[in-house]
Amino acid sequence: MNELTQALSINEKLEILSDAAKYDVACTSSGVDRRGKQGFLGNSCSAGICHAFSEDGRCISLLKILMSNHCIYDCKYCINRRSNDNRRASFTPDELCTLTIEFYKRNYIEGLFLSSGVVQSPEYTMERICETLFLLRTKYRFNGYIHVKAIPGAPDELLARAGLLADRISINLEFPSAESFESLAPGKNFNKILQPMAQISDTIAGHRLAIGKSARMERCGINKYLENSIFSDLKLEDKSHTDLMIAGGSLARDLRRPFAPAGQSTQMIIGASNETDLELISTSQQLYKSFDLKRVFYSAYIPLNEDSALPAPGTPPPLLREHRLYQADWLLRYYGFHAEELLSSSRPNFNEKIDPKCDWAVRHLDIFPVEINKAPHDLLLRVPGIGPKGVQRIVEARKYGSVNFEMLKKMGIVLKRAQYFITCQGKMLYKIPIEESFITNSLVDSNRKENFGILDNTSYRQMNLFDDFRLAIG
Amino acid sequence: MITVFTCENDFTAMFSCIHAAWSSRLGHEHVRLQVEPVEQMNLFENYVHVDADEKKAESVIYAINCKISPAFYAQISYCLGAYEQDTLDTIYRVLILGFAYGEHILSMYQYKDITRFLEISRRYGGEAHSFLEFLRFHCIGGKLFVAHIEPKSRVVMPVAEHFADRMPSEYWIIVDDIHKEAAIHPADSAYYMYYLTDEEMDKLKLTEKENDSYTFLWKTYFDTIAIKERKNPKCQLYHFPIWKRSHAVEFL
Repeated sequence: MNELTQALSINEKLEILSDAAKYDVACTSSGVDRRGKQGFLGNSCSAGICHAFSEDGRCISLLKILMSNHCIYDCKYCINRRSNDNRRASFTPDELCTLTIEFYKRNYIEGLFLSSGVVQSPEYTMERICETLFLLRTKYRFNGYIHVKAIPGAPDELLARAGLLADRISINLEFPSAESFESLAPGKNFNKILQPMAQISDTIAGHRLAIGKSARMERCGINKYLENSIFSDLKLEDKSHTDLMIAGGSLARDLRRPFAPAGQSTQMIIGASNETDLELISTSQQLYKSFDLKRVFYSAYIPLNEDSALPAPGTPPPLLREHRLYQADWLLRYYGFHAEELLSSSRPNFNEKIDPKCDWAVRHLDIFPVEINKAPHDLLLRVPGIGPKGVQRIVEARKYGSVNFEMLKKMGIVLKRAQYFITCQGKMLYKIPIEESFITNSLVDSNRKENFGILDNTSYRQMNLFDDFRLAIG
Repeated sequence: MITVFTCENDFTAMFSCIHAAWSSRLGHEHVRLQVEPVEQMNLFENYVHVDADEKKAESVIYAINCKISPAFYAQISYCLGAYEQDTLDTIYRVLILGFAYGEHILSMYQYKDITRFLEISRRYGGEAHSFLEFLRFHCIGGKLFVAHIEPKSRVVMPVAEHFADRMPSEYWIIVDDIHKEAAIHPADSAYYMYYLTDEEMDKLKLTEKENDSYTFLWKTYFDTIAIKERKNPKCQLYHFPIWKRSHAVEFL
């Protein structure tokens, strides 16, 4: 290991530690609305705000950084593993706080996403993270968004402190099964990930109940119209929240903050192990149902280390598969779908050519076409090309008169996909045969361009004398 | 013959223009409203300039608030700054429908004027939101933060509202270089709008040349956070179009 003894500048540390943090995918600042306060810096917007888009097209919302990239573990898939010969660095809590505050004041970021390699022990690492967050919230009077990674194996008291100081707390599950986890992350224990997840979930629910909210996290408003969504049979109120984590001292009283108001999230790596899409999406569903997670993120594995158990370096990351999993994840959370409806043991992976909602629709042509002016919320949501906002607009508009195709277009309905599955006042847009092969071919054709966009990374645009050659007038 | 009522691009003037068109008794189908400058005049239209009149504007605002609803007024007035040429006329048509049917009119996609209004309103909201994201402050002398934006529509007010809540105890200025207006926020007090002269604009332009050490750090972060194996400039261009990058320091 290349241990640097000379003092590193802030710029060098930033370079090393942001480079080490970039494979963590979660960078959202969503889930909590909080007004600003006089004398403090920052507020929070529940829709989330992206502040830039990096060269890979991913949004930069938070300052995603590691406290340190030193690590005692040797996980095969990880860039920061002990056996890699990397440049290593650590931030001091004050350096990190100043960087966050100054970036935030310039509107570069929406908050901080703090994670760390495991230095010395999980307990020591978590203590350093908590110290940084405590300074940020008290000495630096920061009121913006903070997402913190909980280090598995850290004591409950420290996790409770982190939850009180941050807005969102997450633990990376990485793999959906214990076998993959234990073969690729030697020294770690799968149950040691699930146990704190369950405890955090209980603590969030307990804190919510204590301030008069329901135990369950708020979900997209459309879910209240869906009788069979994955959240409808979730009854956290019935559980006894005995497994609460309690921060020692007077922290909870002094801070007067709710516990992780933006909830809990996790991340799974795809393409490094042999799990099918069905296993991944079923795991996500289970996590949403049992731990009431706010989000599950998917990360297409980029081969960084040479290891016989992993894809060879140079293997392209499975970006289209990752895209399909995100689409399916949205179907679970916003559209009332269940994992078993989308995939089955005979078809365990998503169709690469066509998105999961279209794929489901062409396999269920018996319920289509649906009449836009009469169909209930849950059926409208199942039509490809219609989303929760579209449904809301259709339902509002049809109270005052019938809805036609021109109006649907103005409402933002994607007729390119929806036209095969809907009628307005009994008529379809064109004369379309309701045949699986015909509709599938048409949908594959319209998906082709989108799929190509994900796999192909060349970009073309018109050159401009003023932008490209800095030509000035006069 | 259609009579076109024109007014300056100003909040009071626009509501005065609505008042003038309504009380002209020419019939709604014989009038049109437009914000100056009128780029293409038509031989078969009669152009009438309307001066800003606070009393008339207030009477229109009072009528909307009382006879329709304050929420309706908030939605209507929000997008008055949109750059689309037909914004004021569309709002006039929406008001006619609003006075006839009440505030629910905004859900009635059956009317073309409503769909057009919602289209303008959504686009304007999107533009304003994008400047909450891509606006960049420069720190001057360690205390004052100055940002420049070049929006198509007049979005300084909604943008300033956001930052007034976010940074209540900082001194900051948001300058709209196109429309020459600025929101000025002294620490721990309310912000105010200020219309800039050319001289003031020239002076303010120099603020971007100030050396800010955190800009350099931000560029380092911006470059290292991208995963080279996932390079996708097309996606980046879609989310962050070039016309919004003019003051984003990471691209300069």
